[in-house]
Amino acid sequence: MASISIPLPLRERAKTGLLGWLATVDHKKIGIMYMVMAFSFFLIAGLLGLVIRLQLAAPNMQIVDAHTYNQLFTMHGTVMIFLFTIPMLVGGFGNYLLPLMIGARDVAFPRLNAFSFWITLGAGLVMFGGFLLGARSDASWTAYVPYSNKTYSPTIGMDIWLLGLILLGIGSTLGAVNFLVTLYTMRAPGMTAWRIPMFGWAMATTAVMILLATPVLTAALIMLVADRNFNTQFFSANQAQLWQHMFWFYSHPAVYIMILPAMGIVSEIIPVFARKPLFGLRAVVISTALIGLLGFTTWVHHMFVSGVDPVLERFFMFTTMVIAVPTGVKVFNWLATLWGGSLNLKTPLLMCIGFLATFVVGGLSGVMMASIPIDQYVHNSYWVVAHFHYVLFGGSVFGIFAGLYYWVPKITGRMFDDKLGKLHFLLMLIGFNVTFFPMHHLGLLGMPRRIATYAAGRGWETGNLIATIGAFLLAFSVLIFILNVLKLRNGQPAGDDPWEGNTLEWSTASPPPEYNFREIPVVESERPLFDARWRTSHLP
Amino acid sequence: MLPPVTRDAQLINELYNVVLALAILTFLVVEGLLIYSIVRFRRRRADEMPEQVHGNRTLELVWTVVPAIVVAVIFALSVDTLGRMTARGTLSNPVAHVHAINDQEARRRVERAQPVDMVIEVIGRQWIWQYKYPGGDGVITNEELVVPANKNIRLDMTAADVIHAWWMPELGPMIYVNPGQMSYVWFNVPPGEYIGQCNVYCGVAHANMISRVKALPQAEFDEWYAKQAAATSTATRPGDPEAGKQLFMNSSCVACHYIEGTKAQGRVAPRELTHFATYPTIAQLDGFENNAENLARWLRDPQSVKPGTAMPNLNLKAQEIADLVAYLQTLK
Repeated sequence: MASISIPLPLRERAKTGLLGWLATVDHKKIGIMYMVMAFSFFLIAGLLGLVIRLQLAAPNMQIVDAHTYNQLFTMHGTVMIFLFTIPMLVGGFGNYLLPLMIGARDVAFPRLNAFSFWITLGAGLVMFGGFLLGARSDASWTAYVPYSNKTYSPTIGMDIWLLGLILLGIGSTLGAVNFLVTLYTMRAPGMTAWRIPMFGWAMATTAVMILLATPVLTAALIMLVADRNFNTQFFSANQAQLWQHMFWFYSHPAVYIMILPAMGIVSEIIPVFARKPLFGLRAVVISTALIGLLGFTTWVHHMFVSGVDPVLERFFMFTTMVIAVPTGVKVFNWLATLWGGSLNLKTPLLMCIGFLATFVVGGLSGVMMASIPIDQYVHNSYWVVAHFHYVLFGGSVFGIFAGLYYWVPKITGRMFDDKLGKLHFLLMLIGFNVTFFPMHHLGLLGMPRRIATYAAGRGWETGNLIATIGAFLLAFSVLIFILNVLKLRNGQPAGDDPWEGNTLEWSTASPPPEYNFREIPVVESERPLFDARWRTSHLP
Repeated sequence: MLPPVTRDAQLINELYNVVLALAILTFLVVEGLLIYSIVRFRRRRADEMPEQVHGNRTLELVWTVVPAIVVAVIFALSVDTLGRMTARGTLSNPVAHVHAINDQEARRRVERAQPVDMVIEVIGRQWIWQYKYPGGDGVITNEELVVPANKNIRLDMTAADVIHAWWMPELGPMIYVNPGQMSYVWFNVPPGEYIGQCNVYCGVAHANMISRVKALPQAEFDEWYAKQAAATSTATRPGDPEAGKQLFMNSSCVACHYIEGTKAQGRVAPRELTHFATYPTIAQLDGFENNAENLARWLRDPQSVKPGTAMPNLNLKAQEIADLVAYLQTLK
């Protein structure tokens, strides 16, 4: 592979030890810190989820009282979204991979990057520290006004929660700016638009969405802080819908912020393990951008029963359904990439297959729910809980594990135990479906979400018991993953390119040196490594 | 879905089944292709090199256009269902009818929307539904909404504190009940008992905010109503602790109050009632001695005794108060 020699920039020698981590501006170390932070929060929020499932395992359970239960589900949702999924995908994978994939030596603003991480961690500590010290919000992650105003949520916990989210928004916005500038200005020579790896396109779209959506949420959060503490009346009690509009203007795009990078990961892994180019690359890129654009036009579908203008509702029903088309295009393109390939069924590919198999269910239930009459039945029921877990666990979390199995060998220089990985995959797939599929049924039987307990005799006992059993299976599968991480120390050395990768990160050492590439590679195709590998041998 | 008992619920149910069928079909196609690929295209030799297909315009066009058509069909069906729900005139889609909810014009449209036999005012509050009947007898019930069967009923709903949601799955569409705004629901149901519950998180006892509708044949309803009207003003017999206990356990009291060994497991009220009769005061209010007369006054209108208390005015009838007093005085 061709390369050009650009002298390494002068910089003080990399520090080692703890200070090396605390003071680092290296995108890889920052990426790893994001991943470790996010994964820790995943475990914590998962434990909260287990308590929730225990409480609901049978009618009239008293594992925790209602007040505690409400704090638990509030924190479960908040942490999973804001402190796990987004920091893991955007901060973790985005940071570690983006510069490597585009042949850059770091991000455009390394110090800003470090700042983004530390403010994100700070926000997490504020929010979770408050939770541990008893300053807990119980207003759920949607924090609807007027319940979240001073009258009905008088405690400091609500303010801590708001403060945490405001700080997270700052970190997230700065990170997005950084990624966009990096992608725009720092690509290796020859990396034209259509040669940017799919993960890069996914991150670009995600970054634009973060930039456009987060300020609206931040504004709403600050307005609510002002309402609570300075007696402003931004969200007067008689205008219940304003908060919902502002909240969902961010929080619906947030779903795509959480799924597009995972789709990017899947789009990288499938071609490598099928030994084929991504089918319809341009269609996938355009679909990604369209999903990003349309993602901003659907938020009112969260408000079909809130009391919104009926014409507006039909408009949003339309836009919500339309978004299924580019999503479907991506799914079929992935299937077509697998079709006729030479499938290397290692754990990363299995996780992608898990992504496809389960995300489809969440996508389809999303289309169903976009229909206003159906939404008027299932809104806020356990059916919805099933739906978004199929999207965010079945989609994002399977994507995250796919990415971890694929890139951790690059990050650590060691291979995972693939047998253990397959066991993890199998148990997670089963555990996930056993947990969340019965929830569709519970919703149809009239079970609302966010209830701390329920009486016997409404037909909810069996479904809940099954879901609880599934949740423990799911938790067990995550323990297997942790075991696999612990075993990495003795894992097989990965070498530069254990999977026969396509993208530039596989052309450098594992783990990559501090400046990624001694010589900057010159890119001549969409799969530079693939072409370099096979050009000399037996490409048909 | 729970079996629909109104036409609106029936329409939702039918639409759901059609859309579900389309979704299952799509699901089977995707999972089928996926599983077939995994089995058929496994890597068999380490050096095998599949054909390098970069795309196929025709195929891509097909899987863009076909889903677009399917989605268009679902959209059209949904709009059609909405139209039939609103156009039928008896059981309407409240959200579609009324948006600028405080606006006079909207109010007039509600009045015109369909002939109704009875309008009941509903107030949702943490954590009960209160139903106020027309007719000037002052009949207000908590917890259970008793209506005449096979009559067109309209509920004019608002919330006293935070957002609540009216969801009776068998009776048709759900709707949020917002403070300072009005929401409307129409239904017409056969005799029977129906259950639902608040569907927007509304605080600590959200899970206990149950809604019950009991539809009685007109004659039975009239009888029930007459009894209620009579009981509203005067107690007809002395307080009965057993009746009081029944009332307590089957009403929203249990949402907030705790009495050991009973269904009352609520933890909202600051003091549990297990040994209520031994407390010197009611509501921890200095000088408000715990006796039958004060307790009746408290139950009749808590706010007038202790402004700002979380205990709502439950609009209890005289007989109910007498029974409750008798019951609470047994808690030693």
